[in-house]
Amino acid sequence: MADPKKKGKAEGPVSYDPSFSKEVFEKVDYGEKIKMCMQCGVCAASCPLSMVMDYSPRKIFALIRAGKRSEVLSSKAIMLCTSCYSCKVRCPRKVPVVDVMHGLANYALKQGYVPREETALFGREFWKQILRLGRIDEKDLPRRYFFSKGIIPGIKKSMELADMGIVLMLHKRMKLLPERSVKGIKELRKMLEKASAMGNGGA
Amino acid sequence: MKYFLYWGCSLEASGSNYLESIRPVSKILGLEFEEIDDWNCCGASISYIGANDLSIKVLNARNLALAEAQGGYDIVAPCSSCYIQMVKVNHEIQENEDLKAKINAVLKEGGLNYTGSIRVRHLLDVLYHDVGPEKIRSHVKKPLRGIKVAGYVGCQTVRPYGEYDSVERPISHDAILQALGAEAVPFPKKMRCCGSGIFLTEMGYCMNLVKDILEDALNHGAEIISTVCPMCAMNLEAYQHRINKVLGTNFDVPVVYLTQLMAVAFGLDMKVDAALDRNYIPPEVVLKKAIGH
Ligand code: SF4
Ligand code: SF4
Repeated sequence: MADPKKKGKAEGPVSYDPSFSKEVFEKVDYGEKIKMCMQCGVCAASCPLSMVMDYSPRKIFALIRAGKRSEVLSSKAIMLCTSCYSCKVRCPRKVPVVDVMHGLANYALKQGYVPREETALFGREFWKQILRLGRIDEKDLPRRYFFSKGIIPGIKKSMELADMGIVLMLHKRMKLLPERSVKGIKELRKMLEKASAMGNGGA
Repeated sequence: MKYFLYWGCSLEASGSNYLESIRPVSKILGLEFEEIDDWNCCGASISYIGANDLSIKVLNARNLALAEAQGGYDIVAPCSSCYIQMVKVNHEIQENEDLKAKINAVLKEGGLNYTGSIRVRHLLDVLYHDVGPEKIRSHVKKPLRGIKVAGYVGCQTVRPYGEYDSVERPISHDAILQALGAEAVPFPKKMRCCGSGIFLTEMGYCMNLVKDILEDALNHGAEIISTVCPMCAMNLEAYQHRINKVLGTNFDVPVVYLTQLMAVAFGLDMKVDAALDRNYIPPEVVLKKAIGH
């Protein structure tokens, strides 16, 4: 649950500090779209996890306007988005809230913030696998994610979730052979490298 | 009717019962599905952690470009996450010449180009609009009489554009269930999110989302839940017993794919064609009761 004290402080007496807004407009994917936000709260009311977020999507946008950089970039809300698109289809000002949330999460991680560690670890392994294979190997990815923090936490987590793997295997819902990479993996990597350099937050 | 079936990474593994049942059902309905040669992952809903937006767009544009070069048929995605990724990237490319030029400059590195001619669709769209409930009904040999099904649509399935059904009150899933002879129970949470790609890493929060959905289905009399997305199916089915342990519930409700129900209603083999043996919570008892075995 959100801490009401923190909430009050962060949103505080509305003072506008344009430097962080500018940074968001320029560097965060879809960041400039929040210019359209009229703070109606429809996104917050639609969001399935807003009750466990420290700030709702609406509040995140208000904090950006108020220049609260570290509050926003360390907020767990920006990494609790399930990508349900409820906000995007309902926003009366056509703000693609979900895309902004993803953009903020990507940007925060690049700036060294880790709002949600587990999702960050999993997501990084996910992308590494795309760069390696061009596809996702569903039996290999969880393993890499479980062991991304080291052997001991890896064994612990594998044991916690071993039942899932066994059940999937017994029900022929696991590919037994290792996933091979796509034929055009070299070209794909080259394209993704270029896109990473050309896009926002690129090298 | 010819299409590309972009089945994606999940349908080869945890969603294998979906792909297995799509094949015989589409054959009966006269849907001709081809594979896009050398397709890659769509990035799902979690790739933004490791990649910027342009990279994710390029990932999808590569598939679109390959499809365009290989015949240009509509791409059909049975996975809602693949669908929403691809339909979104496709729209944005089609609507924005600058973006298209940027993406093509990147695709060129791999000798590819995309003009923007492809249409991306969800399997549910094709079943509902191209085939239609009437034609589906005409193939039913063993109507699923008396069985109460909750048609779970999921959040991404008809979004973000609502191109083929309402983004708030979709009817296509229920219409097909009814064509199969089943009773589609009212189910207000049919579009509520199951936790999607962050279920595994945010289990504490997401178990509650699934609990609410399952409770809503059961409170409305459902004996079985139908889905059209491998991620929905996984989250609703595979974690039930864990949810029971942690949240003190008592769930044991079968979760199947719509195409599995279609295979059963078309009189096909429950194991070979409907792939029901691959489901974690056995759906056979409920279904056999319905078709009178
Ligand atoms: S629904 Fe749109 S306009 Fe309203 S608060 Fe959210 S982003 Fe702003
Ligand atoms: S897409 Fe993300 S931010 Fe938008 S309503 Fe869903 S969970 Fe909330």
